[in-house]
Amino acid sequence: MNAQEIVDKTTRGTPRVLVFACRWCALVGADAAGRGKADLPASFRVIPVECAAMVEPDSVLRAYAGGADGVAVLGCHLGGCRFNDANHVALKRMEALGDLLDTVGIGRRRLLLSFGTAHEGRQFAEVLGTFFRELTPLPSLEGWRKTLLNQPSFR
Amino acid sequence: MTSTLKTIREKAGNLLAGGLADGVLCLGRDRFNVVQPRLFRKAEEVGSLEIEPKWNLAKLAMQTLRSAEKSFRLTVVCRGCDERALLELVKRNQIDAFRMTILSYTCGREQAEACLCARPYPENSAAGEKIEGVDPFGDPRFASLLAEDDQERMARWTGLLSRCLKCYGCRNACPICVCTPCKLEDDLWVERSAVPAEMIPYHLIRAFHLSDTCVACGACQDACPVGIPLLALQLVMRRSLKEKYGYEAGLEADRKSPLLMDFDHASPAGLTLPAWTVSSEAPHER
Amino acid sequence: MPGVIAILCRCCGQIEPEVDLQALRERIGREAGVVSVEVLDSLCLPEDGAAIVQAVESSGADRILLAACSPYGKAGDVVSALCARGIDRSRVRLIDIREGCAWIHRGDRTGATAKACDLLCMGLGFLQYGGCSTDAVVAVRPECLVAGAGSAGLAAAVSIARAGFQVHLVERAAEGGGMLRLISRVYPTDVEAAEKLRPYLEEVERNPRIVFHPKTRVVSATGFAGDFKVRLASATGDVNVRVGAVILATGAGVWLPRGLYRYGELKEVLTLMELERRQREGKTAAKRSVFIQCAGARCPERPYCATMCCPSSIKNAVLFRKADPDAEVTILHRDIMTPGHILERYYRSALDAGVRFIRFDPAQPPVVSGDGHVEHVEVFDAISGVKREIETDQVILSTPLVANTDNAKLAELFHVPLDGYGFFREDYPLHPLETRQGGIFICGSARWPVSSTEAATQGEGAAMKALAILGREKLSARSMSRLPEGKLGHARIEDSSCSGCGNCVAVCPYEACTLQRMGGAFVSRANKMRCRACGSCTAVCPNGTVQMPEHNARAVGAMIRRAFAEGDAG
Repeated sequence: MNAQEIVDKTTRGTPRVLVFACRWCALVGADAAGRGKADLPASFRVIPVECAAMVEPDSVLRAYAGGADGVAVLGCHLGGCRFNDANHVALKRMEALGDLLDTVGIGRRRLLLSFGTAHEGRQFAEVLGTFFRELTPLPSLEGWRKTLLNQPSFR
Repeated sequence: MTSTLKTIREKAGNLLAGGLADGVLCLGRDRFNVVQPRLFRKAEEVGSLEIEPKWNLAKLAMQTLRSAEKSFRLTVVCRGCDERALLELVKRNQIDAFRMTILSYTCGREQAEACLCARPYPENSAAGEKIEGVDPFGDPRFASLLAEDDQERMARWTGLLSRCLKCYGCRNACPICVCTPCKLEDDLWVERSAVPAEMIPYHLIRAFHLSDTCVACGACQDACPVGIPLLALQLVMRRSLKEKYGYEAGLEADRKSPLLMDFDHASPAGLTLPAWTVSSEAPHER
Repeated sequence: MPGVIAILCRCCGQIEPEVDLQALRERIGREAGVVSVEVLDSLCLPEDGAAIVQAVESSGADRILLAACSPYGKAGDVVSALCARGIDRSRVRLIDIREGCAWIHRGDRTGATAKACDLLCMGLGFLQYGGCSTDAVVAVRPECLVAGAGSAGLAAAVSIARAGFQVHLVERAAEGGGMLRLISRVYPTDVEAAEKLRPYLEEVERNPRIVFHPKTRVVSATGFAGDFKVRLASATGDVNVRVGAVILATGAGVWLPRGLYRYGELKEVLTLMELERRQREGKTAAKRSVFIQCAGARCPERPYCATMCCPSSIKNAVLFRKADPDAEVTILHRDIMTPGHILERYYRSALDAGVRFIRFDPAQPPVVSGDGHVEHVEVFDAISGVKREIETDQVILSTPLVANTDNAKLAELFHVPLDGYGFFREDYPLHPLETRQGGIFICGSARWPVSSTEAATQGEGAAMKALAILGREKLSARSMSRLPEGKLGHARIEDSSCSGCGNCVAVCPYEACTLQRMGGAFVSRANKMRCRACGSCTAVCPNGTVQMPEHNARAVGAMIRRAFAEGDAG
C-alpha cells in the first residue's frame, strides 16, 4: 500500500491530542481556559505532570502509537521553572525528538512545545486551537496505525 | 598484507611480549580459516591477527573486562567508530578506562563509503592514513531516505521497518545498548508477541534513547538480517546536536550530553535561550 | 479485595448539560476494580463532604476516584480534607470534568461525555499503579556554618547565636570585618567603619556560641539540609563540623580598572578603594578632585550597576567639601543611583555642600589628560551640550564590585549555581536568600553588590531562614519542598536494574543522585532530602530504573493507553 492509499483510508475527524501539562503553569492555564469558558474541541486529554522535564520521550512516542495525532508538552516560561531550569532540558529533549519525528515522516509539527501558557487561559486556548488547526490537514495517524505503524502481523 | 595490518600485528605483539597488556582483543583467523573476534594472550599468536572485515568490538571489550579479574589490562584493536563507542561506554561507567588501552587504525576509502562514515578514523591512529570522511547527507542513498514530504517518508520507513523480524540484532549489536533489563523487552513499552516489532514503540524508542550517544558505528544495520538502514534514523538527530550545541557523541571525553543540562551549562559557547515560546514559531529547516 | 470507589460530583448541575453523568456512572461502574459508584450533588458542601467519608467507609474501597471541578478550586480542598483524615495522597485521584471538560466543550455532549469517560478511565489506570514513596526523617544538627565574616556574615552569625544556636564563623582573612576593614566611613551616616564593626566583633569575641575560625577555608562539603558535613582547613590543621544549615556570605571582590582613564599610568588616578585607604591613613585630600562614575560598570563586560558606587562617591565628595570649603569637587556621572528617601536626601546634601555634578553620555566618556601627572579632565556635558575642561589634582574612578574569586570553588563544593557574573544565584523568583539546595542560603555582596547596611539586613534574613531549619529537631524528606503539603514524593532507584550510566546524576537540578560503587560496578543512589520530585531523572533513565512511585511509568502508561478508548468510538 502506498502513501496515497493510506491517506485515503483515513477518516478525518478532529485530531486527537494528548497534552502533558506541568501543574505549575500550564495546567493552571488550562484551568483558566475552563473558567473562561473557552471553546475547544473535545478530542484532547490532559495528563498533569510535576514538571515538563518529567515527560518521557518514550511516553510521547507511546502516545502516538496509542491513538494521538498530536502531542503537546506544556511547561513554564523558560526562566521560570520552579525546579531550576529543568524545563530547559525538556525543551532540548523534545526538540531532538522532533528531529526523529521528522526523519520518519511523522513530522515535528505533530509535537507541540509551549513554554508560555503560565496561568493564561486565553493563551492556552489559542495555543491549543492553533495546534488543532495545524493538525487537521495532516492525515490522521490512525490510518497508518491500522496498516503498518504498530499493528502486529504474523507472517 | 597491508602495512596497517603489519603495524597492528607488530604493536600487539610488543604489548603482549612486554607484559603491557594481558590480552589484545581483535579479530583472528582460526585454523578453519574463519575470521572472528579473538582475545590474543601471547605474542606469538599475533601472526593470525586480522583487522578485516569491519567488526565492532566495543561491547565485547566491555564484556571481556567484566568477566576478567580486576587486574586484567585489555588492549582493544579498533577502528574510529569503535573508539568512539568505547569512549561513550567509559563515560557511562561501563568500562573502567584504567584497565583498557586502544590500538586504533584508520579505515580505507571503500569502507568509509560503505558505511557512509563522516569520520573513518580514530583520534590518534596507531596505523594507517587518515582519509576524508563521507557526508551521508550528500550521498544519494541516504538523501533518498530523507527526501520528499512527511507522507512519502512515512510510507518509506513503514515499508522498511515492516521487514523487521524482531530479532533484537540491532539492540544486541549496538555498543551503547547495555541496559539490563531493556525497555524493549518490557511489555509496558513494547508488545512482546508482536512481529514485526512495532515501529514506534520499538524502533523509535530505541532510536531516541541513542539520540545523544549513537556514535554512528553502523553495527545496528550491519547486524540487521533484513537490511533496514537503521543508522539513518540517527543521523538527523546527531547533526542537530552538532549544529546547536557543538556536541558529538564519542568525541567528548569531558562533556556530558547537552540534553542532560540546562542552557547555562549546555554549550561552551554559552548558547542563549531560544526566542520562541511556542514550537510552531520556531524556525527550522530539515 | 479492596478496590476503587468512584464519586461523581454534579457540581449542582453545572456539569450535566454537557456531560451525561448517568452514562458516565454506568460506564465507570462496568470497569474492573471499581467497587462502588456514587453521584453526589456537590462535594464541597459540608453535607456531601460527610457523605463522601460515609460512602468510602461503607464501600470498603482503598482508593478514591473523584470526578468534580478543578484541583485549584474547591475540589482541591476536598482532596486535602480527605488526606487530612489519613488517606495517603497517592490513593486519591481527582479528575477535573468541569473546567477541564464540561465548560470547554459546550455544545458537544457526545464528545464531552466520551472525554469524561476517558479521563476517568485514565484516572483508574493511574490509581491502579500509583505508589507511595517511603519518607525519610533526619535529625537536625543545631549548628550553623557562616562562610565569610563581613557585614553580612557577622550579622547572620550574631542573629543565630542570639537565638541560641552554635555558629561556626569561617573567615579566610586573619580578622573579621570584610570590606568594612578597607574603608574609612560608611554612608549615609558617615560613621567610621571600624565603629560600625565594633559591636559585631565584640559579640564574636564574647559570645561562646560563636566559634570564629580565622584564616580558614572550606575544603569539602557533603550532606543535605539538617546535616551538612563540612571540612575546614587552616594552617593549624583541619576541622570537621556538622551543621544543619549553611550561610554563604563571602562578599564581593574589587576590580582594578587597568587601562581605563589612564589608571596605572598616572599615579593621581585612583580607585575608590584606594581613596578609602588614604582616608583611613589620614592623608589629606587633594585640593581638586574629579570622580568618574560607572568606571567599568554598565558596559558590555559588566552590564550591571553595582549600586554602592554612587553613594560612596557622594560620601567622599561631601567629606572633601566639609574638610576644606575651598575644595573643588566634581562628580562626572551617567546617572546618579541613590534610591530611597534617605539616599535621595544624601544626594541633595551633596548639592548643598557644593559638589558639582556633570552628566556625560557613555558614547562620549571623559578623557583624562596630563603629561606625567593629572592635569585636567575633558567631559562633554550631556545636559548643556557644552564641552568642559576641568582642572584637577586627582581623579577617582568609581568602579563596581565584582564576584569574589572564591565563589566558584564554594559553588562547586556546595552544589549551588552561580549567575552569569559569578555571584551566587538566588532561587528566583519566590525564594529570596535561598539557593537551589535546601539549607544553603546566601546574603550580602556574595549574592549581589550591596552596601554594608543592606548586607547586614540580608544577613539577618538569611539567619531567619537558617533558624527555620535549625529550630526543628527533625526534618522529613517530604517537607523538603516549598509546597505546604510537601513534595510529591521522591525518586526511587531499583539497584538491580541500574547500569550506573550517570544520566540521572547529570540531569538532576539538585544533584540529589550520586554514583556509588557496588561490587565492580556503579549504582545510582538518590538522596531523599535533596530530591525535589521534579521527575527529571525519570525521563532520562534508559530503562526505567529510577521512578517516582507517585507518578511512575506504569501509571503514566496506563493513562496513555486509556486516553482515547471512548473517543475511538466517537
